[in-house]
Amino acid sequence: MSPARVKYRKMHRGHRTGLAHRGSTVAFGEFGLQSLERCWLDTKQIEAARVAVTRFMKRRGKVWIRIFPHKSFTKKPLETRMGKGKGPLESWVAVIRPANVLFEVDGVTELVARESMRLAATKLPIRTKFISRHRMG
Amino acid sequence: MKSIALNAFPRTVGRRAGARKLRAAGRVPAVIYGRHNPPQRLEIELKDIKAAVHGAASEIVLVDLSVTGDPKPKRLALVQDIQHHVLTNQVLHIDLHEVAENEKVTVLVPVEAIGEALGVKTGGGTLEHVLYKVKVRGLPKDLPEKLVADVSLLEIGMAIHIGEMKAPPGIEILGDKSIPVLAVAAPLSEAQEAAVLEAAATPTGEVEMIKEKKEEGEEGEVKPGAKGAEGAPAKGAEKAGAEKAGAEKAGAEKAPAKGAEKTPGKPGEKPAAAAPAKGGDKKPGKKK
Repeated sequence: MSPARVKYRKMHRGHRTGLAHRGSTVAFGEFGLQSLERCWLDTKQIEAARVAVTRFMKRRGKVWIRIFPHKSFTKKPLETRMGKGKGPLESWVAVIRPANVLFEVDGVTELVARESMRLAATKLPIRTKFISRHRMG
Repeated sequence: MKSIALNAFPRTVGRRAGARKLRAAGRVPAVIYGRHNPPQRLEIELKDIKAAVHGAASEIVLVDLSVTGDPKPKRLALVQDIQHHVLTNQVLHIDLHEVAENEKVTVLVPVEAIGEALGVKTGGGTLEHVLYKVKVRGLPKDLPEKLVADVSLLEIGMAIHIGEMKAPPGIEILGDKSIPVLAVAAPLSEAQEAAVLEAAATPTGEVEMIKEKKEEGEEGEVKPGAKGAEGAPAKGAEKAGAEKAGAEKAGAEKAPAKGAEKTPGKPGEKPAAAAPAKGGDKKPGKKK
């Protein structure tokens, strides 16, 4: 997972304060996995979580990945002196704030959805919670 | 839809600090608005609103509102919107829409599927909710809490459309009749799943740059026309000239190219005076 085309390859690190307001509700499926902490999720972590969900659901139901790694981050090679410009591109990450919905599922029972989201959560470096479209009060 | 009795109190505090104090005291800020009365700020006990919404199919419920100190004993209102905290789901604010008993209103009503679809039971398909809510119009008392659709006869590839939904008496379902509400999709075949896995597993190679491509495109688009032919050398001359030339100089260099085009058509004093000065700027640049 990485953008197909970008205008600039290297980016500033930016800030990730506050809560997510956009992308904080279950929009496509019936159940979802919501982040409770902030982090950068890289492509490998997102992919590992997706594989965990689809393997458990065994081709039943539908899965939505609500996040995408739009942000690139760079890293200087080991044993390199400081300076000489920004390092080479290391990976792509999605900026996650608390309340971001990461995954959504539909077409399966709540039990299956809960277990698949639990398995996905084990692949992620942050605390998450299972949410439903029909949460009220 | 049955109306639920709800008590409210007129609210005097506003802004963020006032709302926070209210919430800390177990009340929720609210507002009531409608066609016939000016909007009024209210506060409602949190436990009352939770009791009203608890067990309902959606948060849109009909309430008989009695406001303390209000001359009207009861005001019929629809819970138009409940704002929740994104993380804790705490109720932050309530919008009440005052309605008249004899005036039709439009609301979004949730759709519930009953039964197990044939396509899911036998074919291993997936029941997809294309629309979770449908817009309906009717009198407040006639509004249903939810619309029910029987999906037990649906096979793979079949769908229930808005036109096929059964509305309760006095209610009109709005929207394009051909839009599907519930559908049964075929399961992913092994080949499709393998393709998805392969696509995901492909290493992330070099990312294409939009900027580079644009520049290439611009260069490629330059045609050997009259304008292009005139424009290109002028730009080239700028680049070839002194690198430290400022924006003013650049402007002065650009002008002669245009002036040169215009001078033959419009013989005037100004262009004639400007031309030698600009030419003078240009020449030393070229020499460098």
